[in-house]
Parts: sequence; C-alpha cells; structure tokens
Amino acid sequence: MLFFSFFKTLIDHEVTVELKNDIRIRGVLKSVDQYLNIKLDNIQVVDELQYPHLSAVKNVFIRGSVVRYVHLPSGSVDVNLLEDATRREAANQAGKGK
Amino acid sequence: MSFFGFDKAHHNPSGIGFAQAHNPFAGLSQEDDGDALEFEDTYDGLGDQLEETNDAFNDDTFGDSAGPVAANSGPDFDFFGQTAKVSNAIEEEHFLYNRQQPPARVAQTATQSSYQSYNQQQTAPYGYSSQPQASSSKPSGYSTGYEKYADLQADADLWGLAPKKQPQAPAASSPVPNVSSVPASRKVLSLEEVEAQMRAQSKTAHQQQQHVAASPAPQIHAPPQMQYIDPAIQFAQPAQPHFSAPVDHHSPHVPVTILQRPQSKHAPSPQPPQPSQSPAVQHQQHQRQQSSAHIHPTQILHNPNRLSGDGARIGINQQPTAPIPGPFPAHPGHRHQGSFARQAGVITHPSQLAQLSEEEKAVYMEQEAKRAKRNHKIFLMSRDNGIMTPQDKSFVTRIQLQQLVAATGNPNEHGTDESLVEDFYYQVHTQIQGGQRQHPSQPLNNFAQTYLFQTGNRQGGMRRHNRGPENHMQRMEQQVQRAVEAAKNKPKNKQLVIEGSLGKISFSNAKTPKPLLNIKRNDSANDTNRPSSAHRPITGGDRKSELKSIESIYSTLMKIEDHDRVMPPPPANDADTEAIDNFVAWGNDAQALNQKLWTSLRVHDHPEPGYLHPFITFLSYSKGKKAMVRIFRHLTQEQRTTILTLVVVNLDNLDVIRNAQVTPAAFQLNAAMRETVDLFSNAVMSVLFTFLNELELDLVTGILGLVCTRNVDVIAKSRIGATLLTMILSRAEIIKQQNNGSNEQAWHDWESTYTRFFNLIEHTLPHMFPGPVTSDEDVYVWQLLAALGIGAGPDQQQRLVLAVKDRVMDTVALSKTLPPDLGAQRLQNVNLFMRSIGLDVELLQ
Repeated sequence: MLFFSFFKTLIDHEVTVELKNDIRIRGVLKSVDQYLNIKLDNIQVVDELQYPHLSAVKNVFIRGSVVRYVHLPSGSVDVNLLEDATRREAANQAGKGK
Repeated sequence: MSFFGFDKAHHNPSGIGFAQAHNPFAGLSQEDDGDALEFEDTYDGLGDQLEETNDAFNDDTFGDSAGPVAANSGPDFDFFGQTAKVSNAIEEEHFLYNRQQPPARVAQTATQSSYQSYNQQQTAPYGYSSQPQASSSKPSGYSTGYEKYADLQADADLWGLAPKKQPQAPAASSPVPNVSSVPASRKVLSLEEVEAQMRAQSKTAHQQQQHVAASPAPQIHAPPQMQYIDPAIQFAQPAQPHFSAPVDHHSPHVPVTILQRPQSKHAPSPQPPQPSQSPAVQHQQHQRQQSSAHIHPTQILHNPNRLSGDGARIGINQQPTAPIPGPFPAHPGHRHQGSFARQAGVITHPSQLAQLSEEEKAVYMEQEAKRAKRNHKIFLMSRDNGIMTPQDKSFVTRIQLQQLVAATGNPNEHGTDESLVEDFYYQVHTQIQGGQRQHPSQPLNNFAQTYLFQTGNRQGGMRRHNRGPENHMQRMEQQVQRAVEAAKNKPKNKQLVIEGSLGKISFSNAKTPKPLLNIKRNDSANDTNRPSSAHRPITGGDRKSELKSIESIYSTLMKIEDHDRVMPPPPANDADTEAIDNFVAWGNDAQALNQKLWTSLRVHDHPEPGYLHPFITFLSYSKGKKAMVRIFRHLTQEQRTTILTLVVVNLDNLDVIRNAQVTPAAFQLNAAMRETVDLFSNAVMSVLFTFLNELELDLVTGILGLVCTRNVDVIAKSRIGATLLTMILSRAEIIKQQNNGSNEQAWHDWESTYTRFFNLIEHTLPHMFPGPVTSDEDVYVWQLLAALGIGAGPDQQQRLVLAVKDRVMDTVALSKTLPPDLGAQRLQNVNLFMRSIGLDVELLQ
C-alpha cells in the first residue's frame, strides 16, 4: 500500500507517466487506486508529433500494469516521511512474513 | 359491514365482484378471533347485485390497503384517506406501466399486452373514465405494491397468524382481494405449503378464469401488467397448463434465485393476440402471481415487476408515448391521455379532427409528428432504463461497500494506528500539509458516507414513504458491520496450499492486489555470503552492520514517536487512579524506549584504539546525520550533553572535518564532500547549536577545554569545525553580556581556557581561509575571527590583526575591483571582524 499511499498525495500535481510502449504523457494526476491505475487530466503527450492520434485526447485512464515510470514533481515529495513510510512498510511486511 | 346500506341477504361467495385476485387467506380472521365481526355474518351478499361495470373503481375507492381495516370499519369508512394512502403507488404503477408499454406499441407486435388492451377496450364502453387502468394496476400484485404495504405491517398483527390456517377461501370473499399478498409474503412459506395452496387454488382459480374468459365484459382478473411484463416466463412454457411446472421458479428454499431476473422488457413475442386466451395459460399466470407474492422475501433481485426509481422517472417522460391516436383514442387505460389532450386542443377522437379547419389540422398533425418523433427518441434512449431496480442497485452498492470496507478497514477506525500502518505516508502527509482536512480519516469516511447517503437519497426521493429508505440504510449499515466483523473474526487465509503441490497460491485482495511471490522469511537466513556491491571500508565494523544498526535506531525512533502519540492525558486529580496508572505505565514504556534508543546509539562504547567511536561512525552516514534532530528530541538534557561532549571530543575524527580540510591553496572540496558538509551543518550543527545556546558557562568552558585537547589546527581548517568554534565562543560572549560576572570563578576558568585556545589557534589563523581572496566563501572564517576578537584581550587582538592582516588588506583591495554590491558584501564580512576588535574597514581605505 506504500505506493498507493504515496501516489494519493500527488493528486492534483502534474506528473509524467511513461508507458511501456514508450509514450510519455504529462498531465494532472486525478486519481489512483490500489492497482495503481492512474487517471490524468489535461494531458499532453511529450513527443506529440510521434503520436498524433493522442493530440485530441484531454484525459486518460491508464491501467496500472502498463506504466513503466511515473516522473514525479520532486518538490511535492517529502523524502524523510517517505523514508519512514518505507521503513514502516518494510517492518509490516517482515511482520506479515513471519 | 354493509357499505351503502345494501341488503345483506343475498351474497354469492363465488362472485368476483370485489375480488380481482384470489385471496387464499381471506376469511381467516373468522377462526382467529371469535369476537371479531365475521365476514359471512356481516356480508350482505349484495355483491352480485352490484352493477359490476364500475367495479374497477372499487380499489380506488377503498384502497387496497384497507383490507384488515375494512373489517372493522363501519359506514364512516374513510374513502378518501384510504385512496390517498396509495396514491403514490398508483402513480408509480402507472409510470411503470407506461414505461413497459412502448416497446410493444412501437414494434406493433402483438404480445400479451394486446390482451391487456383488449381487456381495457372491453372495459372502455362501460366506463369512459381514466380511472380503470389505475385501479387495475394498483392491486395487480406488483411487488411495488408490496413495498407500499410495508407500512401496514405493524397494524396487521393478526395476519401474522394467518398462514397456518386454511389457505383456500371462497373466491371474492374478501372485499379487497390483493391484500392477501401482504401477509403471505411476510411469512415465508415452506415449499409444501405453497404447493398445497396452489393445488387448492387451482380449482377456484380455474373457475374464475373461465368465467373471465367467457365474460364479454370481463373484470380484469389477472392483472394485465403481470401478463405483459413476464412474457419470458409465460412463453417459456406456453404449452404446459399445469401448475407443477412453474414451481421451480419460486422455491422459497432456494436463495440462489437472487439473480434470476428474467429479461422482461425485450421479449418480443410472435404470439398472436389472445383475447380468448386459454384458461390454462391464465392459470399459470395466476399461479405465478400468487407464488411470486409468497416467495417475495427470499428473492432479492428476482422480481422484475418492481417499480424502479428510474422507471418511475422515465415513465413521466414516456407518458406521451402511449396515446398514439388510434381507433380507440379515448383510451381509458391512460390517465395521461389528459396531457396529450391538453396540448392538442382536446382532440380525443378522429371525428373531432374532421371538424377542425385545415390550418388547425395541419398544426395538429405537425405537433403530432413532432411528438411521435420525440417519443421515439426517448424510447430509444430509455430502452435500458430501469433494468436495475432500486433493490438491485442497493444490493450492488452493498457489495461494493463491503469490499470498500474490507479494503480500507472500518471507516470508524481511520485515524487510528491501524490505518497509519497501511496508509502512513498519505495520512501523515495530509496531516503535515494540513489545511483542508481537519482529520486524516475524513476522506475515506466521506467516501463511504457519500455512498451510503446517495443510496438513501435515491430511495427516499423515489419512494415517498418514510420507513423504506431508512430501513434500507440501517440494513445496509448492519450488513456492512457484520461483514467487517466476520472479516475480522475469520482467520485470514491468504494462500491456498494444494496438497502435494510445491508452491502456494496466493489470493489477492484490495490491499495486496497481486501477491505473486510468497517468500517465507527465514529469520536465520544468513546472507553474509552475498557480495555487497558498495563495500566501502570504514574503520570499525563493516558497513552493512552499521547501516543495520542505524535502521534499528530509526525503528526505535518510530516506536518512540508512536508512543508519544498515544500519550494519555495527565491525570486531572489524584482520585483518578486509573488515569494515574495509565500515565505511569506510559511513562515507564517511554523510559524503556528511551533506554533502548540510548543503548542503540552506543554513545558509551569505548572503541579499541585506532577505531572510530561507533557514534562518530553513525554520524558519518547521511541517514545517521538526518536522525540527529529526531534523536535529540527524545533525549534527556544529560544525554544531550553527553552527545555534544562526545562529538567535540571526536571533532577532528569527524569525516566532515578531517576530510574537508581547506587551505588558501586547495579549497575546492569534491561535490560529494560538499554535500556531506552541507547536510551535516543542516542536520547536526543546527541541533548542536540550539542545544549549545542553552548551556551554562561552565559547560561551555568545559567544551572549549575539550577542543583544546584535540588537534585545533585540523578543526579550524574545516568549515564545520570553524563554525562549531564560533558557536562555542559566541555562546560564552552572550552569557557574558547577559549576566555581568556573577560567578567570578567560572569567568576565571573561561578566561584561562580561552587564552589556551587562542594560543593553539593563533598559528592556524592565516591558513583557515578557504581558497584565495577571490573566492567568496570565507564568511564563516570572518565570523570565527569576530567571535575570537570579541573575547580577546588587547594583546590578543593585536596578534589577531597581525595574523590576518594580509587577508584583510587583500579583501579590501579586491572589493574595489568588484561590482559595488558584491564589493560591499565582501567588505561587510571583513567589517564583522574589524568591528569586533573596535576597528572598521573604513579606516583602511
């Protein structure tokens, strides 16, 4: 749930989602669910000339499994908190595994 | 119970004057209650003498909920009230009817509905009123009707006893026949009982049906909607006139009927109109109607006849569809003919049309065409409306809610530690960002509530009776609660181990959507064999174990922070022993955790000669540095002092000092070291600075004394070291200014320590500056010099000036060649020092 938890805090921030088919879509993160499906608004494809069929698309729903990277706005990431959250998650997992 | 003062003498119990549906339980009250009026005794038997033509109005007049009430009502029966009670249901039924109707009409297929319209048309000559349709729809055995009757349940206690009595009663013996469905549906009958009833009914029903079929002016016996709506079922077995067949449709024992809803609307039938429908088929219909009434409670989605909220709404839009001018324009079946009539200038018959002028005719036809077009559009759009009844929707909603609750935990538990465990980053982040959300649990709570309320509103808006939606909400809440409880109690079986298989199959859930790997952790796993990629030799223990110990410090820190969050309120008074106990217990736990943290810091370790102190090693890692702020927060004053002392004692061993030496010749540190230095000054120095500013003079003296025992030259040649020295010296100066020599001994100690320190640092002074004069990073050196200068005696000041004179002169000269603002900045830095010894750069220019 760490990633889900993390992405929830990025809602309404602009992110760039890179898909496994190399399309990079920049848009405002509107929602994310536990499968890390992503909804973007006001999207713009980074290399628009190459994907003209997407130039008219304004918002997208991206299935979590096709996402390769999500480029984050570093300013809206609380690194210390994220480190702690990671520690907790790890402790959680360790606790469950036993 | 003689309503219009009719003669009670002649009563034909087999007459169907009042009855439109067979009531198996009618007359039961006779056996139940000796004191009550007995139907046979009181009924006047005038049923047959009544003019039956207008019987269709009876239920409008009496209201179909009047059954049990009517038994006790006298001549002052509240006709209006009874009707008004069900007016909503009438409307709803009507909408539903209209909604269901268009497909048949548009397609011009003769379905069962033609039979219905036949009936209506038959009725028409006898009563040109808009009412009959409504009246026939109302008691039709729709389950929506049942919804309406729910309110009656409380009054009808006597019905609760009913089912065990003789289920068969003389047909039409009850004045309000359809009421039978109420008690019957309330009480879940066993299959045997139902079958028995059906068998018993079949005879009378058969007779009735024959009667109906034979009658040229039929009472609409089996409700027409019924016949139309369920063509799928009817036509599935058109050739089986026997009752045994439909039984499997409605076994009350089978809860699996949940999703058995027949596709009701789109069942176009090739069947020709059946004005003279065989009685057998009608039996079946009748049978179905009865049985559906019996089994209603066990079926959640089964009944297609329920009026859906959407249906009701759409029905309004669709009203105009019905009145397409035809051979029977004054269709009695459609009250809403009125609306059409109003629009079209009251044209109810083609003959009227003929009387109109050409112009009016054209206008009328145009309007008609428009309307037809629009109606068709609406029909196309609304084809799928009402596929889900509100019950269906709430059923689905409940399932979704359960999943939601299972996924996110009980909404009531949010904001507690449990949710923090799963959703730590989000919860804390939103708390930190603050603002909109007062409470971290809000979003999810709202989420769940939104759904609950939405359902409630939809229900409430559609059905205007008060208890329904509320009950529904409660039921839903209860169900969710139960589901949560069950999920909690049930031991979580997260994986399936098939016997003989080598692996495990993991189930996914909302929290772990895809647990593909199921690695069992082995505590004794020895992973030292693994080659560690970034193995950097650091004296004293290997990197991995050091990182591990830092992690353990962090986990202790987090435990302490969690513990702080649950701090009980301090006991209000001495009497509250429980609160005191709690507080004491909390304090003990906090103490234990603090002790754990302190040991894991290993401040008191004594490393072998030649090895770094573990705490200094700890500070050489960036996460160690970052932890300092949090560690200090949870330490006692004494522990903090110990740490400060330890740091000062090991100053020249700190990597940020030892590895970050600067000289005027080679000042440029590599990027990594610069970063480390920055981090150290941000994370550690700030903490030390804050702490140092609270120290008393004797401790400051002691610390400076400790510095003197170390390699002052190394310390002063690093930015961190110089800054720390500045901090110590300036703290002493501030204390001096605050209390003017109250403690002579302490000041004496300070003076001597300062002198000692000055002697040590004097030779380093010219070499402390980072880089040549042109570099602009020497602010901290001027600060140190200023701090030195303030505390220095006249002699020491002299020596200070001599040591750094060249640098001062060079900087002043340089500042003249620089742009004015940059030059002024540099001069200001120098002036910091100059002013501390009573001089000013102005004097040098």
